[in-house]
Amino acid sequence: MKVEDVVCPFCGCLCDDLVVEVEGTRVVSVENGCTLANEKFLGDNRLTSPIRRAGGAWQQVSYEEAIEETAAILLDADRPLLYGWSGTHGEAQSIGVHLGELLGALIDNTSTVCHGPSIMAIQEVGHPGCTLGQVKNRADVVVYWGTNPIDAHPRHMSRYTTFADGFFLTDAFLERKVIVVDVRKSESANIADEFVKIEPGGDYAVLAALRAIVRGKRSLIPSFVSGVSREQLFRVADTLLGAKFGAIFFGLGLTMSRGRYKNVRNAIELTAELNRHTKWTISPMRGHWNVYGSNEVFTWISGYPYAVDFARGIAFYNPGETTSVDVLRRGECDACLVVASDPGAHFPRACAEHLARIPTVQIDPHVNATTHLARLQIPVAVTGIDAEGTAYRMDGVPIRTRKLFTGRYPSDTDVLMKIYDRVKEEKGHG
Amino acid sequence: MSFILNTGRTIRQGSYVERKNTPAYREEASTLYMHEVDMLDREIESGDHVRVESTQGAVVMRVLPAAWLSRGEVFVCLGPYANHLVGAETHCTGMPDFKDTPVNITPTDAPLVSVADLMEQCGGVRYEG
Repeated sequence: MKVEDVVCPFCGCLCDDLVVEVEGTRVVSVENGCTLANEKFLGDNRLTSPIRRAGGAWQQVSYEEAIEETAAILLDADRPLLYGWSGTHGEAQSIGVHLGELLGALIDNTSTVCHGPSIMAIQEVGHPGCTLGQVKNRADVVVYWGTNPIDAHPRHMSRYTTFADGFFLTDAFLERKVIVVDVRKSESANIADEFVKIEPGGDYAVLAALRAIVRGKRSLIPSFVSGVSREQLFRVADTLLGAKFGAIFFGLGLTMSRGRYKNVRNAIELTAELNRHTKWTISPMRGHWNVYGSNEVFTWISGYPYAVDFARGIAFYNPGETTSVDVLRRGECDACLVVASDPGAHFPRACAEHLARIPTVQIDPHVNATTHLARLQIPVAVTGIDAEGTAYRMDGVPIRTRKLFTGRYPSDTDVLMKIYDRVKEEKGHG
Repeated sequence: MSFILNTGRTIRQGSYVERKNTPAYREEASTLYMHEVDMLDREIESGDHVRVESTQGAVVMRVLPAAWLSRGEVFVCLGPYANHLVGAETHCTGMPDFKDTPVNITPTDAPLVSVADLMEQCGGVRYEG
């Protein structure tokens, strides 16, 4: 059976034009997908049943036992951390936040090690963004700053920018100018019209220089700013000012390097400066599938987008204090529920060591690095393949993903609802 | 410390991300890209193993040349190998120094370890791999 208009469950692009062929409970082919989509749909490395670590060995347990034990671990903890959430659908994220509130837990999503600093910058100065459809149809200048879409978002350029014809750009490849700014000459830099190579940690200074030029202060610019020549800065600024509609996309090159959220703030303020002259927008390249959705769901329930601490009985948010890496580094949490992410692979070693010390439970379809650190893992269906639900694209557009077949795994929502009900019963609210 | 470690997505890392205990993922996640002149300076050939050490720990990686890097910078895709070296200090932002970790690099004959080995070093118990 061929299913059309399938939504990809890998990156924040949420490409919704895939054609997937299914035989029984197996995906056998994928059309229109990138390499990442093909691997996601055709991958077969599912954990087959819940597992529990007993001493130095692993044993299979039933879903009922695993759910009961998870609820007991969370109820027994003084400072539980509920982490992850980006690889699942909004309905499951919503149960997670309610579970966090019921437990007085700290709940955080993967933006904490991704675009968390972008959110901090947006909270300071706002977000002049737009949908990807606007970019596709209107943008004649596109800037990729600290991001390498060819590897991380492989169809971004072909669906929305460099190679995508739009309403006002009928020959996009020739009419659109693409500028890549990075510390290394990435694959994306190779196909850009202009590549700006910055010294590591120099983004803030280069953004500040561009802001000065846009404000008419060219005489203040020294011969080189963080490795970029004055001549190139003038040329880039002229291109930005000459755009009819410009779009900046930025990545972890800004959020993870020196300056963090101040880099992003400066990029947003450059966008604001440019809007005194022409039309510009700026958007983060959200990486982990429904991470944008986790920010939305957390915010509409708690008021905060990530790193939400319910320990005081109310929602409290303070990045640097209530963020997962800091809480794990301080050895503060005494239990962890990991849902739809892999902190064992993607957190610094000191955090992985603490996850191994405390009872860590993982709800995830696959065996990953966190599996080795966990006490318990509960396999679930993959949203967008054998579970359905709502996810948000990187530009904030919610898209309903579909279930391609009914498999033997429960969804994240099924498992989390049972854990929530069990905790609620024990807390006396049943 | 003589090099700055930068980390980020590669399409091969993304392809194997849900098979982290396979040799294919290990090969990609433990590959360290280095400028050719730096390799020449250190007498490192393409494919040689090196011991990469930061203030947080040390891990063995395989070196490949990269003309797209500047001298003094090395690149490893995001994952448990790079994160064995990255510190958990976030400078009050929640974000570790994933793109800015000073490391020392020395040639070694030691073998590459698996993801399960790394997680066991962190105190975990191997499930597979």
